[in-house]
Amino acid sequence: MGNLSTKIIAVITAILISISLYLIFGYARTESTMLEVQKIFYYHVSAALTVFVAFGVNCVFSIKYLIQRKPNDDLLAVAAAELGVIFCTVALLSGPIWARYAWNTWWNWEARLTSTLVLWLMYVGYFILRSALEGDKRRIYSAVLGIIAYLDVPIVYYAVDIWQGGLHPDRGTKWSLEATMRYTWMVALLALIMLFTFLLIIRYRMKKTEARYERLQQKYLEETSG
Amino acid sequence: MRIWVLASFLVVLGLFIFATQVPVDITPDKVSSAVSEAISKSEVPVDEEVVEQAVINSVEILEKGQRTRLKYLAAAYIVIWLVFMLYVLRLGQQQQALDKRLAQLEQTSDAEEN
Repeated sequence: MGNLSTKIIAVITAILISISLYLIFGYARTESTMLEVQKIFYYHVSAALTVFVAFGVNCVFSIKYLIQRKPNDDLLAVAAAELGVIFCTVALLSGPIWARYAWNTWWNWEARLTSTLVLWLMYVGYFILRSALEGDKRRIYSAVLGIIAYLDVPIVYYAVDIWQGGLHPDRGTKWSLEATMRYTWMVALLALIMLFTFLLIIRYRMKKTEARYERLQQKYLEETSG
Repeated sequence: MRIWVLASFLVVLGLFIFATQVPVDITPDKVSSAVSEAISKSEVPVDEEVVEQAVINSVEILEKGQRTRLKYLAAAYIVIWLVFMLYVLRLGQQQQALDKRLAQLEQTSDAEEN
C-alpha cells in the first residue's frame, strides 16, 4: 500500500472520528435511564467490536504463516495482535467507568467481563512468549498461540447467551436502539475500524523496516566477522 | 506528531464542552420569578417561600446529578483518548529510534567501504 493511500486513509479516519464525536455529543438522543453517561457506549462497544476484527486478522495471518511460512504474514499478525490489545485496553478501561455509574461497581466477575479480561491476558501472554523466543520458533509458537487465543472471541461474543443473568444487555440491544443512537454508533464503529486499519498499516510497515534492519545488521556482522 | 496530539485533544475537548453545556442557566432569581408567576396563576392558596425552596432544592439535585454524569463521561473519553495517544506517541518514538539505528548502520557500512 502506497504513501498516498495511507494518507487518504488517515484523512478519512480523522474526518470519521470528528463526525462521530459531533454525532455523539451533538446529535444522538440522550438515553432516558442513564442519561449522559450512556454516551460512553459509542466508543466502548465499538472498541470491543474492533478487538474482534484485530484478533481475527491475527488469527487469519497466523494460519497463513503456518501454511506458507512467509515472515511478512507473521509481521502482520503481530501488528494486528498489538492493536487488538490496545483496543481491548480501551474497552476494559472505559467499561468500568460506565459500570461504576450504571451498576454501582467498577468491576463484576460476570461472564462477558471475565472472558474479555481472559482474552486480553492471552494476547499479553502472546507478546511475552514472543519476547522469550527467537527466530522461527518465535514465529511458529506465537502463531499457534494466536490461533488458540482467538477461540476466546466467540466465547466473549456469546457470553451473555451462554451464561445468562449477567449485567451486560443482550447481544441484539444495539440494533434495537433509537435511530439517532444507532446511526451514531455505526459511524463510531466505522471510525474505529478505520483507525485500526490506519494504525495496522503504520505498524506493519514499521515491523517490516525493523525486520529488514535486523537482516542487514546480521549480514553486516557476518561479513565483518568472516 | 505533538501538534497532532494537541490538535486531537482540543477537538475532543471543544466538542465535549460544546455539547455538554447546560442549555438553561437556572439562577435563584429566575426560580423566584417563575414561582411568583406560577403562584399568581394558581387558584389554590400556597406558601410561596415553601414552594420556592422546594424548587431550588430540586434544581440543585438535578444539577448535581448532571455534574456527576458528566464527570463519568469526561473521564471515559479522556481515558480512551489517552490510551490511543500514548500508543501513537510510543510508535513515533520507536520510529525515531529505528531511523537513528538505520542511519548508524548506513554510516558504518559506508565507512567500511571507503
